[in-house]
Amino acid sequence: MATVREPDAASDYLPARMLNEFVYCPRLYFYEHVEGVFVHNRETVEGALRHAKLDDGKGELTPADELAADDKLHSRSVTLASETHRLIAKLDLIEVAGGAVVPVDYKRGSPREDRKTGELIAWDPERVQLAVQGLVLRDNGYTCDEGVIYYVATKQRIRVPIDDALVAETLAAMQAARDVAAAGVIPPPLVDSPKCPRCSLVGVCLPDETTSLRLHKTNGQPVQQTLFEVDPPLSAQALDRPAEEEEIRRLVPARDDLRPLYLNTQGLRVGKSGYVLKLQEKETVVQEVRINEICQLNLMGNIQITTQAVQALCEQETPIAYFSMGGWFYGVTHGLGVKNIYLRREQFRLADVPGFCLRLARALVAGKIRNQRTMLQRNHVEPPASALAFLKEMQLDAERAEAFDVLLGIEGNAARVYFQHFAGMIKLDDPIAPRGEAADFNFDFRNRNRRPPRDPVNALLSLAYSILAKDLTIVSHTVGFDPYLGFYHQPRYGRPALALDLMEPFRPLIADSAVLSAINTRMVTDRDFVRAGESVALRPEGRKGFFRAYEQRMDTLVTHPIFGYRVNYRRVLEIQARLLARVLTGELTTYPVFTTR
Amino acid sequence: MRNTFLVCYDIADPKRLRKVFKTMRDFGDHLQYSIFECQFNAIDLARCRHALGELIKHNEDQVLFVDLGPTDGRSERVITALGLPYTNLDAPCIVV
Repeated sequence: MATVREPDAASDYLPARMLNEFVYCPRLYFYEHVEGVFVHNRETVEGALRHAKLDDGKGELTPADELAADDKLHSRSVTLASETHRLIAKLDLIEVAGGAVVPVDYKRGSPREDRKTGELIAWDPERVQLAVQGLVLRDNGYTCDEGVIYYVATKQRIRVPIDDALVAETLAAMQAARDVAAAGVIPPPLVDSPKCPRCSLVGVCLPDETTSLRLHKTNGQPVQQTLFEVDPPLSAQALDRPAEEEEIRRLVPARDDLRPLYLNTQGLRVGKSGYVLKLQEKETVVQEVRINEICQLNLMGNIQITTQAVQALCEQETPIAYFSMGGWFYGVTHGLGVKNIYLRREQFRLADVPGFCLRLARALVAGKIRNQRTMLQRNHVEPPASALAFLKEMQLDAERAEAFDVLLGIEGNAARVYFQHFAGMIKLDDPIAPRGEAADFNFDFRNRNRRPPRDPVNALLSLAYSILAKDLTIVSHTVGFDPYLGFYHQPRYGRPALALDLMEPFRPLIADSAVLSAINTRMVTDRDFVRAGESVALRPEGRKGFFRAYEQRMDTLVTHPIFGYRVNYRRVLEIQARLLARVLTGELTTYPVFTTR
Repeated sequence: MRNTFLVCYDIADPKRLRKVFKTMRDFGDHLQYSIFECQFNAIDLARCRHALGELIKHNEDQVLFVDLGPTDGRSERVITALGLPYTNLDAPCIVV
């Protein structure tokens, strides 16, 4: 699909380390070299810290023609390039003895044992990387016949002869890597590879998930609604397919171990010292929060933040979201983010293809209606059979809607019926006796109203949708989308249309559910509201309670209907956005909408 | 997945002690004199060990890393207090 590359990119110098990645996994190479994605994990951090120590060398090396035959030298972190092969390499250590130079590369792991001979040998990607270093040295006039890999874990040196066979292998890999970059099409993931679980990009790449969805495509059995094919939409029975036969390894962590930070106290000031955010009220520090323990910073209303804090958060790629005091979502500050422009290019191209937009919109709306139905079925005191039947019908209609306005009508009808019965899911068993002035609030719910919400339940729903839109805007950014261009929601000034698209199936599952549990478990009570004219708003205490309910919901583990493993909703949002990206770049034909059973 | 760690240090020189204390504030909560409570994942632990390893004098000082197991659902199971109360934050988000 995405076949666009800057014309001169192929002639750029290729770093030796990227060739290592390419031999390890072409897809990893594509992510890191072409898309500029990099994610740290324990292995990469340890490697980086180790190199930080090595890299304090001067980076000098006596030129080849000045090298005397009996010179014995050690040079650290030398960067050299080869003009003939257009390769560049950073050499950890170069040992010069007897006129020959030997590059030494430090690796954190351990060597592998040859199956037949039992001999310790270097891994293929590392041999290739060393060969590049050898080629670069030769091109600069040095004699280099072998290299050494030093394994830090086992403290062993493994010699690698740089012979013609290795050079040929290396040059072939180099050509293949350049071809992949020039084609601009991401290579398929490795299949069931033992390399994946410890790869730092596994949460971005989703190897097993992608493979399983691709396999279903070739079997002629799309998992859910087909987006590119013209055949009639699948029946509800197909949507109800049980978890897949073959089990998918759960490679992504079940939950994000970072927590969101919500600042709700008006007049708070956010400063930074070291890697710690200092939250100050007047002159006193109210709380300290370490930057690497939060995944987002939400500022509700009048809260000041220093440039130093903003810079530190941008550097950590921790987004800052801004809301009005009442919870209206204004926007996000982000670091430089994903450089992946191909995805955005496909997004803009496909947003102009009405057929594609309609098919995606159908899937999203049908998924939302299905999830609304599930909500009623699970949580209503007395699930109304007629409403459930109606929602089922609407879901099927949505799957075959012929036009956007028809789809909008179906969505509206379903929402009307769903909210008619919404009150049945509010189950406060012991309504608190009226307490004087606070008694003019209750959790009776008649219909959905907004701008402004006119009763407590609607106020909660509005706030919930607002922060869910925030979360999906952030996710869209993380994945590399432009959140403001959607496929179902039309672009309008300041509206994160793509986030709203992605959000449809999650409205009932996350937002409505969080509202219900906030009310039913009394995390928010009738005392937490205040009326201003027609509108009803939450008091700061009530907002606090609601954020907790919402984040509790986000942290709930849920079984992924297609992949069959348990992850929390926060991860689900990201996985779904990444799957949509796969559909846009053509790697998958179907977008599997998230529905629960 | 994060584990709760107690990081305890014994530093022979006041200047280094000060530096270690300052560094540890980026990694965890100051629990008692020379003891920090940290919620580490593998990355943070590697970073912390590296940072302290650069600071301390290896033949005079000592830092202990005590792993108290997974942070999730730890509640009062792992640490209990006598005297002044010990509070542990186990919420899905931080609201101020």
